[in-house]
Amino acid sequence: MTQDGRYSAELQELRRSASELRESIQRTGNSTLKRVAEGATEAFRGTLEQLGAPELWLELQNLLRRLTNETEPAAVDGFGLDQEFLARWQPLLRFLYERWWRVQISGAQHLADEPRVLMVANRSGILPYDALMIAEAVEREHVRNRRPRFLTADWLVTRPFAQSWIPKLGGVRACPENAERLLLANEWVLAFPEGQKGALKPYRDRYRLQRFGRGGFVPLALRLNVPIIPVAVIGGEEVHPILYRADMARRWLGFPLPFTPTFPWLGPLGLLPLPSQWRIVFGEPLRWTGIDPERGEDPLFVNRIRDQIRLSIAEILAEELRGDRSRD
Amino acid sequence: MRFHRVDLTEPTADSRLAELLEKERCEALVHAAFFKAPGVEREYMHELEVIGSLHVMNACAAAGVGRLVVISTAQTYGPHADNPGFLTEAHPLRPHAEAYSIQDRAELEGLLRVFSERHRGMNVVVLKPCGVMGPNADSLLVQHLSGAAVTTVMGFDPLMQFLHEEDLLHALQLALIQDVRGSFNLAGEGVLPLSTLLRLAGKRSVPVPHPMLYRLAYLPWLSRTGEVPAAFYDHLRFGWVVDTARAKTLLGFEPTYSTKEAWLSFVVSRRMRSYR
Repeated sequence: MTQDGRYSAELQELRRSASELRESIQRTGNSTLKRVAEGATEAFRGTLEQLGAPELWLELQNLLRRLTNETEPAAVDGFGLDQEFLARWQPLLRFLYERWWRVQISGAQHLADEPRVLMVANRSGILPYDALMIAEAVEREHVRNRRPRFLTADWLVTRPFAQSWIPKLGGVRACPENAERLLLANEWVLAFPEGQKGALKPYRDRYRLQRFGRGGFVPLALRLNVPIIPVAVIGGEEVHPILYRADMARRWLGFPLPFTPTFPWLGPLGLLPLPSQWRIVFGEPLRWTGIDPERGEDPLFVNRIRDQIRLSIAEILAEELRGDRSRD
Repeated sequence: MRFHRVDLTEPTADSRLAELLEKERCEALVHAAFFKAPGVEREYMHELEVIGSLHVMNACAAAGVGRLVVISTAQTYGPHADNPGFLTEAHPLRPHAEAYSIQDRAELEGLLRVFSERHRGMNVVVLKPCGVMGPNADSLLVQHLSGAAVTTVMGFDPLMQFLHEEDLLHALQLALIQDVRGSFNLAGEGVLPLSTLLRLAGKRSVPVPHPMLYRLAYLPWLSRTGEVPAAFYDHLRFGWVVDTARAKTLLGFEPTYSTKEAWLSFVVSRRMRSYR
């Protein structure tokens, strides 16, 4: 039945009408977005010229022009990663990486050419800027330019607007099923076991690692024999310094409302990150040679490994922060 | 081919059906007597879809029918923020708390599981297609997506997955041949965000913030002037994408149309209809 000639004729017909449809869409374009973008670039022009960075304005204008340029909708993978969307935002990510946060990397020799790896990092900041920067760093440093997928906590990825953007940039809702599926598909996966506790911790607790979830990542990595690379991010904690956290708001929002020097006072603009200097350190991978996969069932063993990884990240953080007076 | 008429809401529909099945020496039965969309009276719907299906199950057992194929839906997994990216058949059924027609279907799936365990000699197969698209498909989802402007939930862009109606028939055919039992998720290859689907079809999206949307949809639905119950919008808010590995390996199901092709087939056929 599937090989019936009638089917293929119909499919061809479909493809033809699809391309016709596409042309009609390209003709109409998305005019509202275009107008808004043009207005925004004009508004920024004066400010940037005052700051003595007219080339930044050109960059911004270029970026917005590319963003509003309607092209054929791209295919997405099973978790919604849209390569074309990512490519369109790449200039902004590059700008944040190179100029805004001036990211420095060490330990890149630990990023071996392996089919799959689980990376575990400290979470910082409200929006997943840290995940995007680690992904950017790995893509730059890896021999075959692998870009890891990052896991995002529920409370963020199911919020309006975040839900429609984060998956397109490679974010995946953090749950064991998703992590397993990604690893089995030979992806590099980046997890933040601290979760919400890490993202919304007050500024005074910066670089103090929170509890590592329930550690579901350890048995998973052991079962699939995936090495774990600890990653430490320094600088992410300063992009959204949380001065006060309104835990009362959890009742309405589902997460405590953070107050930073700019948020929520400046509205959505307050979500713009502050420019801090970042360092990303990749630690020595933890491998499972000679360990019986059955031990993933042993909660005490799992907890020990989990704590070992937590400690190795904490050690890197402590070492990096030593002598850094501004971050004491 | 002979046509018989049995009203499943009758109290003794089971023995009438059993008589017929025995007389016709029936080997397999496909049960598809379900409403395509809610909108019917709730009690009547429950009477037909759950109690009526119980009659069908009991009649099959009494008449010694070797195979029972029931068409349910992937919506019984429910649209939830905490759904994994792909739902397997092992995932618990959590139908939307307000979507009573889907709740009935989930209850039926539970009954079928118990029934299947009690009648090991019978192949009980449950097909769970995701959104079915095509020239003749009709469902709440289809009705909602056929307009030139589609109401969407502001700030949400769920991944959608469709199955072409011909592929559903193909799966049905396989379910009648293969020696299988249990539930099978059915879907075309690939997923696409709702925004991409609308853009592909040249439809306009009308985003409405969700607290407002639910309130706006609720009153017309209660007074039966609106088409869409508020619960439906959660299906446009959170993903309910299924994993079809089981249907592929056990049933040998290979969809001819991808999600994108099924969608375009639907869109193009609707366009043709408007020219007629």
